[in-house]
Amino acid sequence: MRTLFLNTKDLPDFLNNLSKEYSVYVPSKIKGKGLPCDFGFKLPTHDYLWEKLSAVKKEDLAFNDYRSIESLRAFFTRSKEKLVLSDNENKIAVFGVKACDLFCLKIQDFVFSGGEIKDPFYERRRASALLISGDCLSFKEACFCLALEINPYPGEGFDLNFSVLENGFVVDVGSDKGEEAIKASAALFAPATSQALAQREEKRNALARNLSGHLERHKIPSKDVLQEIVKAGYESDIWQAEAEKCVECGACNFVCGTCHCFLLAEDRFGNAHERVRLWDCCSYANFARVAGGANPLKLRYQRVRNRYLKKFDFFPENFAISACAGCGRCIEACPAKIDIRSVLRKLNEEKSLSAR
Amino acid sequence: MRKNPYQPVEADVEEIIAESPVIKTFALRPREEIPFATGQFIELSVDGIGEAPFTPSSDPNNKERIEITAMNVGSVTAGLHEIKKGQAVGIRGPYGKGYPLNEFKGKNILIVGGGVGLAPLRSLIFALLSQVNDYKKIYLRYGAKTPGDIIYKDQFSHWQEHIDIELSVDKGDSGWKGRVGVVTMLLENFKEDLNNTVSIVCGPPVMMKFATLKLRELGFPPENIYLSMEKNMSCGLGKCGHCRVGKYYVCKDGPVFNYAQLQGIPDIWD
Ligand SMILES: Cc1cc2nc3c(=O)[nH]c(=O)nc-3n(C[C@H](O)[C@H](O)[C@H](O)COP(=O)(O)OP(=O)(O)OC[C@H]3O[C@@H](n4cnc5c(N)ncnc54)[C@H](O)[C@@H]3O)c2cc1C
Ligand code: SF4
Ligand code: SF4
Ligand code: FES
Repeated sequence: MRTLFLNTKDLPDFLNNLSKEYSVYVPSKIKGKGLPCDFGFKLPTHDYLWEKLSAVKKEDLAFNDYRSIESLRAFFTRSKEKLVLSDNENKIAVFGVKACDLFCLKIQDFVFSGGEIKDPFYERRRASALLISGDCLSFKEACFCLALEINPYPGEGFDLNFSVLENGFVVDVGSDKGEEAIKASAALFAPATSQALAQREEKRNALARNLSGHLERHKIPSKDVLQEIVKAGYESDIWQAEAEKCVECGACNFVCGTCHCFLLAEDRFGNAHERVRLWDCCSYANFARVAGGANPLKLRYQRVRNRYLKKFDFFPENFAISACAGCGRCIEACPAKIDIRSVLRKLNEEKSLSAR
Repeated sequence: MRKNPYQPVEADVEEIIAESPVIKTFALRPREEIPFATGQFIELSVDGIGEAPFTPSSDPNNKERIEITAMNVGSVTAGLHEIKKGQAVGIRGPYGKGYPLNEFKGKNILIVGGGVGLAPLRSLIFALLSQVNDYKKIYLRYGAKTPGDIIYKDQFSHWQEHIDIELSVDKGDSGWKGRVGVVTMLLENFKEDLNNTVSIVCGPPVMMKFATLKLRELGFPPENIYLSMEKNMSCGLGKCGHCRVGKYYVCKDGPVFNYAQLQGIPDIWD
């Protein structure tokens, strides 16, 4: 891996050079609803949305402090799309990807590019996309990546990674595609000095310290016990209690970067019928219904529980990692304030109580 | 390999056989060969309505013609039942793992079917009969609601040459001379060396549940009981997430499982 340095003022030029080959998406800062911290910490509440570079004014171009509202998966499977292969799909470059986003993408890769039969729609987009990630500079109230042993700065899975320093960026080149992408801007990049690397190390450690201070209060059970507590809590009353709040909007599924379920359907376009794929959602009552009306996920509590079993049991069994990055998007999106951190904490408490 | 796995192959409807008031068999000739192993399933699409999974009921040795036996229970199957000879449907597949015939070799085979669940079992029967000397004794125990609901009626006499067959109906009529009661009743006095017998069960979920419990009670080891799980399916490829049972996707890891695989998973019969 090569490590380079880019001056802050040269970022727009670099992105503009990229846009000759890619449709470039960058985070744009918006006012967020933001969740107040239960423990009185003062944390930022603004948000980011990915927008086309061309739609963002030069002065609004921001290096995002943390992840954006929507997850990366929307670039690779659309919420609704016709399943017709086309040969002229845009190559995209996404700037502002975070460590949690890259983690989520591992799950999407496993689902769509794994197995005997691959998904050509996903594979093509994924293969051509350029992922430019960045270290987090701060965190939101809902962020809990570190509790799941995911560092808030990327270590793998990117083409380029940007770490912010006072006057510029340390840039890791993580792939051949990344090398290729900086060629046209070669003059803008210099080798990174050891000083710059030391500064980056310091910044990374400081952020991790702050974040773990914040997370301590939430008492999120350790990553190693999650599968065990979700399974042991199968008959727990916790599901029922959470389900009483759930309004089945599906927000938790749709914002999640590891959720991948979909439905194939026929849609009418003029006089013709075409096959479409829609994002689906295990919070919905018909998700598992079969003909004749039988439904293994008939009751809402079964569906709430199913979401946890899928993430913390199914994926560890099949892919050796849980399907949660701790991005906290579902926590912010849920109108009923169902909080995955506290569900896991309660399951853990119940488990240790019953063990006594 | 097809480039777009969601794109079906067109198949012409060659023949339609009414099996019961609500069940029809459709003989399809796909425009590209779709060789399947017995027990694998396909996704069948009816234009403008959608897709549904079915396990072919025909002889897997016949590669040109695939038969699907479908009960009319909802939107896709209603659309299918409207289809006339000469029209076309779409087929994707085959998907999943079929019956592990190799593991059945040299053993007695007890086939237990309920209702339209005999469809995949008929394909299995064809496969077994095509190499009948590979297996010991073959038994078929089949139950339907009423005599009118029994499917493949004209084939039993032919099968009887090689298979020990007993039928039952939940409710008889004046012409019915056979047994009346649930199909598990037919298992009551089953006598064979159970360590050298496999049982293959397919039918509605309740029937599968009670048949499995009965087989366990008789002493069948869990790994000798094979079940066809019916779960909601959309993709058939192990991607859409609909058919999860525990750590399995029924479409990819099944649809045939042995009971030892499923035993520890809660609520599998729901
Ligand atoms: C592996 C396998 C093999 C099978 N083999 C056979 C067989 O050989 N013969 C046979 O008769 N049956 C078989 N079945 C059952 C058969 O697939 C169902 O009867 C069939 O799916 C019914 O489809 P339908 O559209 O007619 O029924 P519906 O009740 O209309 O729909 C069936 C399913 O589609 C879903 N669905 C429909 N519309 C929507 C919607 N708008 N949004 C979300 N979900 C929707 C439902 O949730 C339900 O799960 C098999 C099933 C499986 C899983
Ligand atoms: S479950 Fe919630 S916290 Fe975990 S990855 Fe999905 S949206 Fe993020
Ligand atoms: S976001 Fe909250 S209310 Fe909506 S489906 Fe998810 S858990 Fe239920
Ligand atoms: S049917 Fe899509 S995962 Fe099994």
